[in-house]
Formats: sequence, structure tokens, C-alpha cells
Amino acid sequence: MENYTKYKLKSREELASVLEGKDHLFIIACNKCFKEFDTTCEPDCGELEQIAAEQGKTVTGSVKVDFLCNKIQTEKKLAGLIPEGTENVLVASCGLGIQTVADLAGMPVFAASNSLNYRGHHGMALTKKSCDACAQCYLNVTGGICPIVDCSKSLVNGQCGGAKDGKCEVDSSKDCAWEKIYQRLEKQGRLEEFLHQPVQIRDYSKVNVKVIREYVQSVRENRLAGYYGGVHPCERKESTEHLPLVKFPDPKTVVIPLSMHAGAPANPVVQVGDTVKVGQKIGESAAFISSNIHSSVSGTVTAIENHGHATRGECLSVVIESDGKNTLHESVQPHKDIEELTPDEIVEIVREAGIVGMGGAGFPTSVKLKPPKPIDTVLLNGCECEPLLTADHRVLLEYADDVIYGLKAVIKTVNAEKGLIVIEDNKPDAIELLQAKTADCENIEVVVAKTKYPQGAEKMLIKRVMKRQVPSGGLPADVGCVVSNISTVKAISDAIRKGLPLIERVVTVTGERLVKPGNYIVKIGTNTKDLIDYCGGTTGEDITIKAGGPMMGFVLNDTNVPIMKGSNGIIAVDTDHTAEQPCIKCGRCVDVCPMELSPLYFAKYADEENWQGMKDKNVMDCVECRCCEYICSSKIPLVSKIKAGKTAVRGMK
Amino acid sequence: MLITQLKPKETIASLVEGKVFVINCHGCKEVSFPEKEAVELQKELEAQGKLTGVITTDYICNPENMKLRLESHKQEIDAADMILVLSCGVGVQTVAEYFEDKKVCAACDTYPLPGFQGVTPLEYDCDQCGECYLNITGGICPITACSKSLVNGQCGGAKNGKCEVDSNMECGWERIYRRLAQLGRLDVLKCPTQIRNYATEEKTEA
Amino acid sequence: MKITEAFERGEFVVTAEVGPPKGIHIEHVVEEAKTYLSGITAVNVTDNQSSVMRLGSLATCKVLKDEGLTPIFQLTCRDRNRIALQSDLLSAAMLGIENLLLLTGDHTRMGDHPQAKPVFDLDSVSLIHTVKQLESGVDLGGNELVGEPPKFAKGAVVSPCSDSVDAQLAKMERKVAAGCDYFQTQAVFEPEKFIKFMEKAKQFGKPVQVGVIIPKSVGMARFMNNNVAGVHVPDDMLEELKKDKEKTKAGITGVEIAARIIKECRPYCQGVHIMALGWEAKVPELLKQAGI
Repeated sequence: MENYTKYKLKSREELASVLEGKDHLFIIACNKCFKEFDTTCEPDCGELEQIAAEQGKTVTGSVKVDFLCNKIQTEKKLAGLIPEGTENVLVASCGLGIQTVADLAGMPVFAASNSLNYRGHHGMALTKKSCDACAQCYLNVTGGICPIVDCSKSLVNGQCGGAKDGKCEVDSSKDCAWEKIYQRLEKQGRLEEFLHQPVQIRDYSKVNVKVIREYVQSVRENRLAGYYGGVHPCERKESTEHLPLVKFPDPKTVVIPLSMHAGAPANPVVQVGDTVKVGQKIGESAAFISSNIHSSVSGTVTAIENHGHATRGECLSVVIESDGKNTLHESVQPHKDIEELTPDEIVEIVREAGIVGMGGAGFPTSVKLKPPKPIDTVLLNGCECEPLLTADHRVLLEYADDVIYGLKAVIKTVNAEKGLIVIEDNKPDAIELLQAKTADCENIEVVVAKTKYPQGAEKMLIKRVMKRQVPSGGLPADVGCVVSNISTVKAISDAIRKGLPLIERVVTVTGERLVKPGNYIVKIGTNTKDLIDYCGGTTGEDITIKAGGPMMGFVLNDTNVPIMKGSNGIIAVDTDHTAEQPCIKCGRCVDVCPMELSPLYFAKYADEENWQGMKDKNVMDCVECRCCEYICSSKIPLVSKIKAGKTAVRGMK
Repeated sequence: MLITQLKPKETIASLVEGKVFVINCHGCKEVSFPEKEAVELQKELEAQGKLTGVITTDYICNPENMKLRLESHKQEIDAADMILVLSCGVGVQTVAEYFEDKKVCAACDTYPLPGFQGVTPLEYDCDQCGECYLNITGGICPITACSKSLVNGQCGGAKNGKCEVDSNMECGWERIYRRLAQLGRLDVLKCPTQIRNYATEEKTEA
Repeated sequence: MKITEAFERGEFVVTAEVGPPKGIHIEHVVEEAKTYLSGITAVNVTDNQSSVMRLGSLATCKVLKDEGLTPIFQLTCRDRNRIALQSDLLSAAMLGIENLLLLTGDHTRMGDHPQAKPVFDLDSVSLIHTVKQLESGVDLGGNELVGEPPKFAKGAVVSPCSDSVDAQLAKMERKVAAGCDYFQTQAVFEPEKFIKFMEKAKQFGKPVQVGVIIPKSVGMARFMNNNVAGVHVPDDMLEELKKDKEKTKAGITGVEIAARIIKECRPYCQGVHIMALGWEAKVPELLKQAGI
């Protein structure tokens, strides 16, 4: 492991002169970056306190702060921390951290350290390779060896006369770059190509700080828009977003798990050999947090047994052989219009219909509709920020009226003042349609949100749209909101207007390794493998199938699992072969965590089984959006570690 | 961490010889990657029948993981006459080192992002000069805040408080002067003449 | 002759500047300097002014000196690192050039080679410091010079009508501390600002020459207002230039204005530096009208 020390303490003499005539010091040390957790050469608070003491200074306090250069978080961390009576602040960090503090402190801030000159070491991984970001890459001329960094004179037209025994005149331990380049080109038979290159003249105006500054600012604004953190993975929605919904042919057999929701599995209320009809209840909600389960076909129950399950490994499931007739059960009858229904009646319809959050989490909607606190706003999450998925998008386009009806039902049930349909700006057609359809609704508004993942997460959505912060460990109701998913409100509409329980849903089947992507209306219990086969199967070997999107989806090692209430997508993508590397403490996970946590500590603590540490770093607040894992250059499976931590912390109680 | 920009089309066209395998690095995409242009380029290559395969991945500067990933695409890479890498210079060199016998070309130019060594801050703030001047400048870096990186004060080029090179950029030394005045520290400008040391790289290596 | 000697004698020191051509034919420049500038104390030779590549300042200085004029060698930090700068300083001394004007220089981005690498290894303050060090017989690397060290009159610039005049004064102070002997200023069109500036600048005890440009037209004045740092031609002067186009075109108005500025500033400073910008022929008339 290379030493990635970023800065070194200034000399004692220099520090003495810096501190001359200054007293009442507060000391801040950056808790380091770009290296593993152990710190070697970088100075620490203690060292500075000692130096200050030697000079007879009063130290009013000291603090170590992670990623001092993270202005937003540093501002929060430093608020109220510098005690009364402090006159000067002494900072040990790289130049970024010192300037961050200087901007915030409102009193003289002094640098106790010098940033080391590390230009050319800006790759994310700890490699020996170097690139000076000259803005005019010469690697094509030089066989992939950088003449700017590797040649002491940064010569771009060939070797100087200074090399001796193949070593550089400036440093006899360093190979002459142009000798290496020559050998590499010769080996590749590219010398001729090199000899015919035009004379290279560097253009120093290409490195234009102004452009960089503006660019970075725009990127950062994008990153921080609406709420802290988040990422912008490639959307890759173009292959399915314009494809109308297609009804997937009725399956011959369905396997309906008794657990497709948060909370207790349902109790089966049918027996092997029973004849069932479409919409008939086959599983009874077993607890307050649980859900009813209904048959999606008409036919015969052939088994009630454990079966493969996308997220739980195995689960008790009802297997039904379809008779192909799709006979509706007698209980499937339209209800009164919402105008005539009481809130309690609507809750009961929703509960009876087995409706759960269809965005993936599967929380029983009937429970959500009886919030413990007054609600002013219902947020309808039409963001669909997961890359690749377009199910909600198509539902919005093709079932707009049902979606609005369902939303109205929710507004009435929770007695909210208004409903907001939040759609990301990458779905202009849906925005336009819903705007037109809701033009007459006084209490419904369409809100357009700039695309950012994980905007669809409840807490992010509330922050973005309502500018309200759900407290740690709290619920949307704590800030007067209820958040619901597009497909869920469509299901509510179906339950009221048609009396139909939740027995089918829209699934996007896609991914670069899937032959025929599309958006399908699929019966709950349909075999995933059948669905994939129907879409032409997959191409190539070495593919990964996931239930859900690329960010939050679950890897399916076996596709012999049923489609469930929360299955918004099935994707077939390239397998990424990586191995977990040590954390380099680049801080990017901190930068992208929308819950403003420090995921890098979870990696460290999980490996040490330090569950108290996990708890102290608020692991329970993690929404498992996977932004940290996405951005991690060391490919650390952070979410698994976080899950392990959550399980352990729950056990601590 | 850095900014990459696709080279001009003609330049890339002149690099392409025979069949091509393309590697896209999205690792620092949150900072920059010419996403649309890259897709377009690949489509063109494919239409010309020149493409043997593509890897779109991240952090190709990490040699261990890159090795695993390249191995799983060995056939497609063997079928190509050259590898076109869309990444920063670090990534191109990681790949070039792995395929010593193959022509590996950079399709992008890399722009510097000094001052971004930690988590991505909002501004370009530190040039890692190796001899921090912040103590005599009220905590504003004269190396990055001044177009000429002057360390002894303002040049005569500022107009309306703006830099002669960029009229949208505030003169760094005016900012410094203001900050020092605010802090009652104008006295530090009486410090000895500053002369930069450009040999700090050696200090780093030592 | 060192320009500082003239200051010491209490003279109101007059200098003007010439710009070398983009090419090797310098006869015209020499001719003009000889004809119109021979009466003044010294002649500045600019160093790739505005980052536009031209014939060298040092060579032009030598030619002027051979013609009997006293040249001031302008030296900027834009194009040379500390080795080249010191080397040119020694060359100047060897050629008998004794007056220097030491500047940071415009950014490369401003001129006709925007792709060039901006050097700025040293800046104006550290360059003055470097000259001082050479005068003590030691170079910037701490190595002793062989034989008698060079001796120069070390000049620098300051911008009295800048909108950030406090920052300018701070820099001026640093230049004085580094060893600067005299100052020439950016062009002044607002004598009252200059006078206010001098009230503060006189504490440094160094002679200051007020910078003067002969305004050639309203267009030129406006251009300077929009593009030249620290220069502002006030509205009434613009009106004056507008009033009689023929008179302005003939340079009569410009000379009148410049002369007036010199007269107003003269009691507060130690000399005038005229940037004729091609109108060298008008310098004698200007000086006459200014009563010098």
C-alpha cells in the first residue's frame, strides 16, 4: 500500500512564527482522506496541542473532523463547537480543509500543514500510474505511457540527450520515459507511426480553470439539488419507455407466496384440491402488519409448499393449476364511489384487497392510510428513479385516470389538503398528460423533479418536494406526509371501482442482455423464468438477472421464482467481476449518502463486528439505496455489511 | 478524480485501425463522462462493423478489479486489433499496462481537477503546491484564486475587481485583501517577499 | 546614467516608452526616438507588451543606448523563469543598461499566443528582490557572482486610479520593502484620484512618475475605459474629445488634455512617464504645453 499522506506538518520554526502573538487557539485536524484508517505521517490534534503548549499558548479546545473539505457537513459539525474566547483557529489538513474552515470560522484561521504535491495521482484506486490531466492526451502517440508525467521534462516529441543507462538525468533511479515508450512502440510495431507524427506542441490554454470551475459547480449543483447526496446512474430507459403495456399470456401454473409484504406471512385459507377463482382470498392477513393474498387465476390448488422466493430464499406458497377460464370470484364486485365511502370503509377495502406498497418495500397500504398524526399532503411517487425500469412510467401514461382516482381516494382517507404527483423530468410525456388530466383538480398538482437517484425514497421525496426533514427513526407522518407509489394507487382504484384485489401488476423486463425488452401486465405468481423466456430469453453467458432495478434489485441466482406484488422489474445485465478491495477513504460514499451517513464506517465496523459503533453512526437510518456501493471504488459490498449491522443492532435491544 | 472530454471525431477516426474493443469508465461519472458522445461513437463503430465488444464499467484505474473484468471479455478483446479507452489518463494507462502487446488508445482528453483530493468540494481550491500560503492570505489560496498564482499581491490587471483573464472571476488578491482587512490582519502583507519553490514534488517523494 | 540620479538631483524626470516591432527592422523606432525623445531623461522599452510577441526589449535597449539615449529595460515575469530572468539581468548590466522596470506582465491568454505556457515563476515583487540579491553579489540560488556585481535603478509600476487602490498600495509597499527605487504609474486621467493616491504613497519616500497617455480619439478613450485595468477617462474629457473632431484627429485636443493632467499632477510627484503609443512626434509639443 502506498503512502497517501496528503499533507505534512509545517516546521516547528515556521509554526512558532505563525503563532507568534496569537493565543486562545482552537485546533482542528482533518480526519484524513485517501488512505486507510490508520494514520501515519499526518499531524493530529494532540501533536498540535503539544506544540501550542510548548509555546505557552492557551488551547480552547480541539476536534477531529472527517473530510473537512465537505463544506456542507463541516458547517454542521462545527456549528457551536468553537468555544467562546477563542481568538484563532489552527488547522491541520490539506489546503481544502483549511480554506473551508477559513470561510466558516469568522476569525483568523492558520494552516499548520502543507499539502503535499500529488498532482498526477488522481485515479480513485491506489495505483502507481499517473496522469497530469494536460487536457491533450498524448497516450495515443506513446503506446500508453504518459510522457507528461513519466518524463521529467514532459517532452512530447521524443527523448532528450540526458538519459544515461536508460535512466533519467534528473533521477537515476527512474527509467527514461521515452526509452520505455520507444520499447513499447517497437514491440507493437508502431515505430513508423510514431516517426510520422506531426511535431507536437503543447497547448497550455487547454487547461482552463474557468471551464473546470464552472463545470464542477454545475455538477455539484446537480448532485446537491433538492437534497444532499444521491447519484446519477445511466438511465438506460430508452429501450422500454416507449413500449406500450402488453398482457403477458396467462400462466398455466402460478406460485403465490404467502409473504410478499412487510410483516407476518399470511395464513393459507385454502387447501390442496380446492377450486379457486380469480380474486378469491387464499391467504389471510396474520397480524396488524401483514396482508391478504388472493388467487390471480381460476383453477385448482395443487400444493401449499415451500417454494423459491426472490428475496427470502424460500417461502410457503400456494400453487394453483389454472383452468384457463379466468372466472371471477363472487367477491369481486365494484364498491360505491369514493364520494360515498367513509375513510374507514376505504381503508377496509384496501386492506381486504391485499394492497401493499408496490415500489418494492411491500408495507401494507391500509396501515399507511391510518397515520398516527395529521396529514396535510399526499405525495404520489412517480419518480421511478431506478435506472432501466419503466413500469410506473407506462402506468402513468396508460392508466392516468385510475392513478388520479386512487390518489383522490388516499387524499380523502387521510384527510389531506392536497395531493402532489411527483414525476422526474425524464418523463415529459407523463408530466404533460397528468398536468392536463389534473388541471381541474383543485387539490392535485403535478410536481416536476430533476432526475436524481434515490429521489423515489420516501424521505428524499419529502425533502425534495416539501423541504421537510423526516426525523431519524421517524415516519413521513411525523412531518404531515403520506407517500404512495403509482402502481399502488392504481391498485386502490381497481379495488374500489372494480372490486379487484391485487392480483396482477406491471413489470418491466429489460437489460442489455435481454432479447426482447418490454413492459408487461403480469399475474402475481407467474414464473420469472417463463417471463424471461417469453421475452426471447437472454444473450451470451456471464449475465446477472435481478428482480428490481440495477440499484436496489436483488440478484436472482435461480429464476424459478414467482413475480410478486413488489416486482417492478426483471433485468438481465452484464455481470461485473470485481473483488472487494481495502477502503481508500476517498469519502465518496459520504458525499453521496442521501441520509448523510458515513458508510465507510459501516464497512470498517462490520468487519470488526463493532455493532455499537454501527449504532452510534446511525446505521438504522440507512435506507439501503445502494448509492454508497454504487460509488465505491473499492467495490465494498456496503449494503450487505449494513444489513448485517442492522440485524445485530436490532438484536441488541 | 478528473474531467474527461471526448477527442474530436476526426482524431478518433484517425486512431481506429481494424476492429475495435471499447472500454468506458463511468467511475468518476459523477464528475464527468461524455456519456452521449460515447454511445454515439459506439453506434457508429458498430454500424461500420468495427466493434468486437464493449465494457462499460467503473474505476478502471483499479488494476486488480480491471484484471478480473478484462479476463471475462478475453475473446472479444482478442478479436480486436486495438482497444479504445474512454477514461482519464490513469485508466488508459492501467489498460495499456495490462495489454502490453496491443495498441491501446485514449479517446478522451483529461482535464485537471486539482483541489479535489478529498470529497468533491464545490470549488477548485487547492493546487497542492506543497508550501501552503494560506497563513499570509487570510485563508484564501493565492495559487488557485489568482490566474497568475501570484504570491506577493495583486497585479495591475484587475478591472472592476475582476481578473484580466476572466471578467467573471473575482480578483483573488482583492478577495484576500478584503478578508485580511475584515480580520484586521493587513499587517501580514508586510511579510518578507515570497518566492515559490517548484521542487516540492521531491519533498513528496522523499 | 541611472534614472535615480535625476530624481536625486530634484529634477522633474520625464520618460517615454517605445515598443519594439514584430520583426527585425528597428530603424524607424530608433529614428523616432532620436528625433522626438532625445531631450528626455530616459526611454522605456516594452517587453512583449500585452503578451504580443515582438523583438526583444534587451536588444532594443542596446540599440537605443548606442544611439545616445538612456534606455529603461522593461522585464516581465510572464515568459521567463528565474534562471532566464537573472541571466537577462546580467546581460543588461554587461551591455551597460542601468535602468530597469520590473513587472509581472499580462497573462499569456491576453496576447497573440494564448496557447503559450504562462510562466510567472517569479512575480514583480520577487523579481525586485532577485535584482537586489544580484546587486549584493549573490544569485537567487544563493551562489556568488564572479567579480563586481551589477547595479541598477530598479523601477516598478503601480496603478493609482485602480478600483482596488488599497490592494495596490499594499503591493506598492511590498515592492518598496523588496528594494524598489522608483515607480511609474498606469495612465492617469483623473488627477484628483492620483493626488489622493500620492497622499498615501508619499510615506514610502520613493519617487513616482505619473503615467500619461495622449488620448487619440473618443473611441480609444472608450476602449480604454472598457478594457484597460486602472484607466478611466472621465465623461467631460470624452465630451472634449468629441467636440471638435478635426482638432482631436490632429492630436491637438489630446495634447491639451495630457498637458493639463501633467500640470495638475506635477506638484505631487517627481516626474512624468509618457506612453505615446505611436504618437512619439507629439511628445515635444506636449512637454512644451506642460511647461517642462
